[in-house]
Amino acid sequence: MWYRVGSRNEHPGITGASHWVEHMLFEGSPRYAKGEIDRAVVSVGGELNAFTDVDFTAYYSTVPREHLDVPLDIESDRMTRALITDEEVARERTVIFSEREGNENWPEFRVEEELYQLSFREHPYRWDPLGRRKDIEQMSAEQLRTYYRRFYGTRNALLVVAGGFDPDRITQEVRRRFGPLPAGGEDVTVHEVEPPPKGERRGELSGPGTTPYLQVGFRAPALAEPETPATIVLDAILGGETRLFSTGSGWGRSGEHPSSRLYRGLVDPGLAVRATSEWRPRSYPGLFTIQAQAAAGISLDRLEVAIHRLLERLVREGPRPAEMEETRTKVRRAVALAYEGASRTGFRLGYFSVFRSPRLEDEVFRSILRVSAKQVRERARELFQPERRTVVRYRPTGVGNGS
Amino acid sequence: MGAESNDPLRIQYLPSLDGLTVVRQAPPPGAGSFSATYVGPAGWGFDEPGAEGTARLTCQLVTIAAGPYDRVELARRLDRAGATLNRQCAPESSEITIWGPADEWERLLDLLGVVVQRPRFDPEDVRHARRQMVERQLRESTQPAHRAERELLRRIFPADHPYHGTGLGTGRSLARLSRDRLARFHQDHYTKGSGLLVVTAPAKGEAVRRAARRAFRDLARTEPRKLRIRAPRPATGGRRLIDLPGRSQVEVRLGGPSIPRVDPRFPAAFLANEVLGGRPLLSRLFQRVREHGGLAYHASSDLEAMRYGGYWVAQAGTGADRWKKVVPMIEAELRRVRESSVPPRELDLVRESAIGEIPLSLETTAEAHELAVDAAYHGLPEDHWRSWPSALRAVRPSEVREAARTALGPTGSITVIAGPVGQG
Repeated sequence: MWYRVGSRNEHPGITGASHWVEHMLFEGSPRYAKGEIDRAVVSVGGELNAFTDVDFTAYYSTVPREHLDVPLDIESDRMTRALITDEEVARERTVIFSEREGNENWPEFRVEEELYQLSFREHPYRWDPLGRRKDIEQMSAEQLRTYYRRFYGTRNALLVVAGGFDPDRITQEVRRRFGPLPAGGEDVTVHEVEPPPKGERRGELSGPGTTPYLQVGFRAPALAEPETPATIVLDAILGGETRLFSTGSGWGRSGEHPSSRLYRGLVDPGLAVRATSEWRPRSYPGLFTIQAQAAAGISLDRLEVAIHRLLERLVREGPRPAEMEETRTKVRRAVALAYEGASRTGFRLGYFSVFRSPRLEDEVFRSILRVSAKQVRERARELFQPERRTVVRYRPTGVGNGS
Repeated sequence: MGAESNDPLRIQYLPSLDGLTVVRQAPPPGAGSFSATYVGPAGWGFDEPGAEGTARLTCQLVTIAAGPYDRVELARRLDRAGATLNRQCAPESSEITIWGPADEWERLLDLLGVVVQRPRFDPEDVRHARRQMVERQLRESTQPAHRAERELLRRIFPADHPYHGTGLGTGRSLARLSRDRLARFHQDHYTKGSGLLVVTAPAKGEAVRRAARRAFRDLARTEPRKLRIRAPRPATGGRRLIDLPGRSQVEVRLGGPSIPRVDPRFPAAFLANEVLGGRPLLSRLFQRVREHGGLAYHASSDLEAMRYGGYWVAQAGTGADRWKKVVPMIEAELRRVRESSVPPRELDLVRESAIGEIPLSLETTAEAHELAVDAAYHGLPEDHWRSWPSALRAVRPSEVREAARTALGPTGSITVIAGPVGQG
């Protein structure tokens, strides 16, 4: 069950509410007491979980086909009847803190949080879905209940069922369970518009660690914009793969790519230990990022200059024909095996549908195959302008005493 | 040699190829991908004293460049085929896995053969891989979770035990690893003798064996030396605090030595661990520490039952102000699982959840393949995963308690707490 509700629908004071509500939807309703949702699914041999992003929140279950009624019952119940009691909110607050603290132990999380905070001044993409510490400390149960009642409902929901089942029976079952629910869910459109950046923004963090690290972010288009296919090609050329169409048995990036430009330009000459790019699909304009970990003895100044030069060269010369062909091949190959298994199929269908429709994947895929080297070069020229850039650097202070 | 089967839960041992065990598994119905894994006796337990890091570095280099392919060409070759190459180095063994489209399985198996048999160890690749290992050592030394795990293993196992370390070595030991030394390790440990090849492909056993023979024809037949296994340290208990100021989260680990995978008590020990902390959402640690205590985001336990022994670990990530509450909770749950029989209703729920998970592992070739590699590595019967549910259902509550005493104990767990413990 996907909801078009994510941290983009929050505001300062309640940042992290979408994620917290996601946790609370496992904590009970009049029909399912605390813990019973988990037990109902795992006792029939299923598994379940949920995740929260900036644009959406998704709850998933994978169960044997004869038990499909179990997740349908749970989802139709918790769409409108989650309790979110004061006691459970108080108890979950420390769990949420703990999740955030686990992330804070990693410099990459801290740098990325700072990068988005600096890059966006108006748009709610400026905070992480986990929420700000102060808001986690202070948000009340009533604020969470209000948020839930405001956004959860059939208008903002998308149900995806994948695998072996009788479509007629399931359609009837879905109508029976979800049809009587009140048509709820307020408009989730984000009205804040981020003005174009007027110059480079920079930030610097320090903390425990041993290797200097940096991220460079550039304002990038939303998923449904016409520039998307060329942006995906740029991501594949720079980092070796792209999140939507990556090769492999999992979802997301699959490892190092020695044939990519960032690897060859930064890792091969010994400037970085690792380097990659990432464009994340978003409903509204987001960021295209370059991430690099400096090699021992290499300063962040030197690494950053190398990144800028590498991008300037791509803008100046555009991609090589072989790079274009390799990217098309990778994308074709990734799509061919992307729908193995009901869980992956359900995830992909939901992912593209929550942004627009299940056809979006095919549209983007076909556009990538058609995009020209000239269009990619033009996209690089627009994207990698210094005044659209944000740089955050992490200066490590050492291991710590470890006594 | 077992019967041909299209059931992915039944593996098929094929006649060995000069000591190389070859195993076939049918892919799940409708799957379009293929997986093959070579497992060699090449884990970091074989590292010579002073040359720690050899196994991991070799394993990494094997997947970077091989035969006619330098690192760029190998990456392109994989991309063109829509394939990936993954590696995993463990104390006892190293695994190299290729994954890709099923209709190219024979060509991809040939490529796996090239990678396993003819790594290039190009000097630039050696330098780069070493740099990455050093960086990883440093990086892990800053992370509470890694520090706690590393310290726990050091305290459980003596210095020359394969499970004592992480195989990453030190800056000094890595600096000693010349190209020749790595190539020699490869020659001695990526062999047919004690090696294993598991192929999950839409093909009959004879076709798999024929393709395996062709792809691995140049693999050395030698039998590497056996791992020297000493007894774990006597369980003395004790607590170690590692103060890492400036971090946000404290990581707690409790653990001790355990039984090997082929121990007849393993099904009961498996269930004991599932009850304690292994079963997602249902386990006692998850329920008590997170769901009712609200004290941690993650609280769980693992039973690492390997070929020559194993260890168990209970773990949680919590705040600097909360770890003093979390540790007694974990200790109390350990005592309970060791001292009291699990209520039948709780055991049934956990057991049926574990059994129900098996069909979910058949969604993709990659997941099914992991089951096959696991069964084949431990030399389990061909129908192991088919008969696993009945093995679990035969376990009685009292056997779970007995197994917990042996495999999650018996007493004297070692406790390591790493993170900003000075702030609590």
